[in-house]
Amino acid sequence: MPPLSPDWSGVLGNPERKDLYFRQVRETDRNIGSFLSFGPEESGAEIPREGSLTGIPVAVKDNIAVSGRPLTCGSRMLENLKAPYTATAVRRLEDEGAVVVGKTNLDEFGMGSSNENSALGTTVNPWDPQRVPGGSSGGSAAAVAAGLVPLALGSDTGGSVRQPANFCGVYGLKPTYGSVSRFGLTAYASSLEVIGSFTRDIDLMEKAFGIMSGQDDNDQSSLAYSPAAADSSRVVMLKVEPGMLEEPVARAYKETGEALKSAGYSVEEVDLPFLDLVVPAYYTIATAEASANLARFNGIRYGYAPDFAENPAELMKKARHEGFGKEVKLRILLGTYVLRSGFQDQYYGKAQKIRTLIRKELSAVFSSSDLLLMPVFPTRAFLKNDPGMDDYKQRLADVFTCLANLSGLPALAVPAGVEKGLPAGVQFMAPAFAENRLFTVARDLSDAFPLQTAPNFMDIGGLL
Amino acid sequence: MAQAQDEWSVTAELARLELDENEALRLSQEAERMRELFLTMSDADVENLEPTTHALAQGNRIRKDYVNPFDSVERLIEASPEQEDDFFLIPNVL
Repeated sequence: MPPLSPDWSGVLGNPERKDLYFRQVRETDRNIGSFLSFGPEESGAEIPREGSLTGIPVAVKDNIAVSGRPLTCGSRMLENLKAPYTATAVRRLEDEGAVVVGKTNLDEFGMGSSNENSALGTTVNPWDPQRVPGGSSGGSAAAVAAGLVPLALGSDTGGSVRQPANFCGVYGLKPTYGSVSRFGLTAYASSLEVIGSFTRDIDLMEKAFGIMSGQDDNDQSSLAYSPAAADSSRVVMLKVEPGMLEEPVARAYKETGEALKSAGYSVEEVDLPFLDLVVPAYYTIATAEASANLARFNGIRYGYAPDFAENPAELMKKARHEGFGKEVKLRILLGTYVLRSGFQDQYYGKAQKIRTLIRKELSAVFSSSDLLLMPVFPTRAFLKNDPGMDDYKQRLADVFTCLANLSGLPALAVPAGVEKGLPAGVQFMAPAFAENRLFTVARDLSDAFPLQTAPNFMDIGGLL
Repeated sequence: MAQAQDEWSVTAELARLELDENEALRLSQEAERMRELFLTMSDADVENLEPTTHALAQGNRIRKDYVNPFDSVERLIEASPEQEDDFFLIPNVL
């Protein structure tokens, strides 16, 4: 198969261009902070393999394992951990010639919407350094938006790929649950999360997804992938209450509906009466699973350990006290609470039944439509330390994204213009295994909303 | 509020989280706010619905039970903070 992005192939294969590339990225990233670790492999082993992604540099969120590289999860707890193996999704890309060039910043263990919860670095939005890149996969979104890499991987537990993609003006895919192996992804909320991708090129995204997807013996929940029917002409558009979205986001949303009609789609509005239940159910399940998954970080089995403790219980408490940040502690606390004997039915059990309700309702929506159009987030990228967007409000604002995680359905964030220097966008959700519909609709909108480039975008033209 | 905060202290103990006084107060307030949000689920009519544990669970996949060589043993041991021969060293807590 011919290389997909001829501009990129060859950059890493040629020693001089390669050095220049690594220097140029370091220089550009000094003002953005996408990467927690970046650089060629010490062995100099990245001579690209022949394949359909030969020479494509890839940035990988630092909660996904790449052998020999750090795996910090943005946490003091794992600050010094190096991954002893490579995640299946990454290995499949490498087998096709893609080359991992660095690990990107994130909210600690994937918990946050701004990257401000990273214990190890600060990432800013390439469109405006006063603003956040979104999160939790903010570093990956910023790296693609700044032109440092054409492809980056993230993980999406409640919107952690789509929301930063939206804030940075790039495509962000959350695939069908189980379609991409989670082997090598540090677990946060196992029943909700999936490895997703960022690009500025929908063809490259489709290609990379095709390569990464499919069953993996190392992940019991991974599924054999067989695409659903590709029909995508009937769109339903979530009816959004006035005032729920900031004006430029509301405008982009409306214009997307109109652009779809012009492109020949039928567009009808739909109410989702269960929407108020989405955030409480999501956070109940996500924190419950987090409290169980993060129990392993206890100063004995993994990661940071204090110098001294009187007894094992104290050792665990000290390690967790000193190793975890505030959002992680809060979510562990909440998760432990909703799983406590006596409370479990009221919270966790209830949330799991609501999850069933949501799946049934969405299944009814898709019985008479092909795609669901929704906002991604109520605002464009917000300011760093924005008092109007505190942690609690950020969690409430996950309402549009965590629906896809509760239901396991695929969703794609699509840029829809730039307003006053900041990207606005929308997302499409599709039935399980209908990623192809998402790629098609994104292509059909690319004339109406051509992708724009952030200021100081790193042009690789000079390397060639 | 005092009673609720006690409840969060018990939970922190169960979660092996050591919280200093300020942190305990702040986290219990934030957790209480989230708990109130969780309580809005109580009105949802889900009487006859089964719980969903995995969105697209397809049952258990099994394979033959055989020895499968693991080629990352050395790298796994090297990745630990401290090691001695083929063992992980953990802090002395006795």
